[in-house]
Amino acid sequence: MNASNLVPGKHVVVTDFDGGEGIMVDLNTKKYFQLNETAMLVWKGLESGKSVEQIVDDVTLTYEVEPEHAAKSVRRVVENFQSYKLFE
Amino acid sequence: MVSLSSDLTKYSLNTSDDVLSLRGWLPVDAVVVDGRPGLRWMDLADVQFSEPFFSQTIKRAITAKPDRGQRFTEFDALLQVEKVVESVAPTGFIFHSSRCGSTLVANTCKALSGSIVISEATAIDKLIARFITDTSVGDLREKLYSVFLRSLVRVLGQQRAGDEQHLFVKFSCCSVVQLERIRRIWPEVPWLFMYRDPVETIVSNLTTVPEWLADEDNRVLGALAGTTSVEVSKMSREELCARTLGNFYSTVESLASDNCMLLNYNQLSLAVILQIIRFFRVELEANEVATITATSKLYSKDVSSGQNFIPDSISKRTQASNLVRQMAAEWCAGPYNALEAKRALVNRES
Repeated sequence: MNASNLVPGKHVVVTDFDGGEGIMVDLNTKKYFQLNETAMLVWKGLESGKSVEQIVDDVTLTYEVEPEHAAKSVRRVVENFQSYKLFE
Repeated sequence: MVSLSSDLTKYSLNTSDDVLSLRGWLPVDAVVVDGRPGLRWMDLADVQFSEPFFSQTIKRAITAKPDRGQRFTEFDALLQVEKVVESVAPTGFIFHSSRCGSTLVANTCKALSGSIVISEATAIDKLIARFITDTSVGDLREKLYSVFLRSLVRVLGQQRAGDEQHLFVKFSCCSVVQLERIRRIWPEVPWLFMYRDPVETIVSNLTTVPEWLADEDNRVLGALAGTTSVEVSKMSREELCARTLGNFYSTVESLASDNCMLLNYNQLSLAVILQIIRFFRVELEANEVATITATSKLYSKDVSSGQNFIPDSISKRTQASNLVRQMAAEWCAGPYNALEAKRALVNRES
């Protein structure tokens, strides 16, 4: 995955809710998404300019999971974001 | 909701400048424009909330400046605007069962320096009503409206003068039925619930019928009374009011915990009012005590007139019809007594 393509869109607003979860709004399509804790971690990581590898490390540490498992989860979340055109 | 498509057009927040341009503007109503639910915003940068109710402040602001700027946005604009304004975190919430002295307490909070008091803001009430009419437990819209409500309070609680330190929100009585959801959004914020003898409360509501009791949406009335919309359509106004009060008492009794204070109208005194302020974790200055002392003697819903408060419990009881007494006994007495018992317990703990 090329991190330079993974810039959170300006048309997307994310706000935290219920502990680590969040709500995401695509202002262009007016679609709303409920983000689980992992998805929030990924989105916030991308917003702060982290690479996918750094986010995988964060997930590994936060949830005490194997790096392979974390990498798979992060990739799936990023692909979901891409499919909904949530990046620039 | 009122459709205002004729005088409002949708304002889109496409750029960061668009978002920044709404600083100092406040959502004054939840409306539907061209079939889209959203918010009516008003330029209130120069306006202080000095009246007992939010709607009175808006009326004054429009009277003083009829061409005041107004815009319509969808609800999601709140999520953008809250990120560009400095807000005061909620200090305390005031809930009540109507006609029970809560406006006096809200006015007291206004007497504190650096305080913002949002008293029964229409946009908050209508957004909370959407939990009844537009969501199911656990669905995305429920979470979405919770997020919007939190953002709405942040935007209404923005620092416009720069020295604000306290934010008090007085909810309308109807919000009591959504207390659990509201508590979930702000679990740490101390809250006060004020109530009064049910016969006196029903008499007051039947004498001057409030908007909520005349609501034509039976889904809302059903939720308030803790029953179905079909049942509500068959009820007398006395029964509807009694069942609603009974539902308020039961709801609060079941949710009252260590960060709440329960207050019966018959306990109201200057000493108790000062105790409420301390319960909200606010330290009082000597000049604030003097202002509160003066405020607490005034008729709470019209502080500008200087009219003094006159206790009216006896006259209210005298006016009560047999039907009012019967409905209060049937629907309110049990929950009211349970709440009184809980008050003794909760207030001792807090």
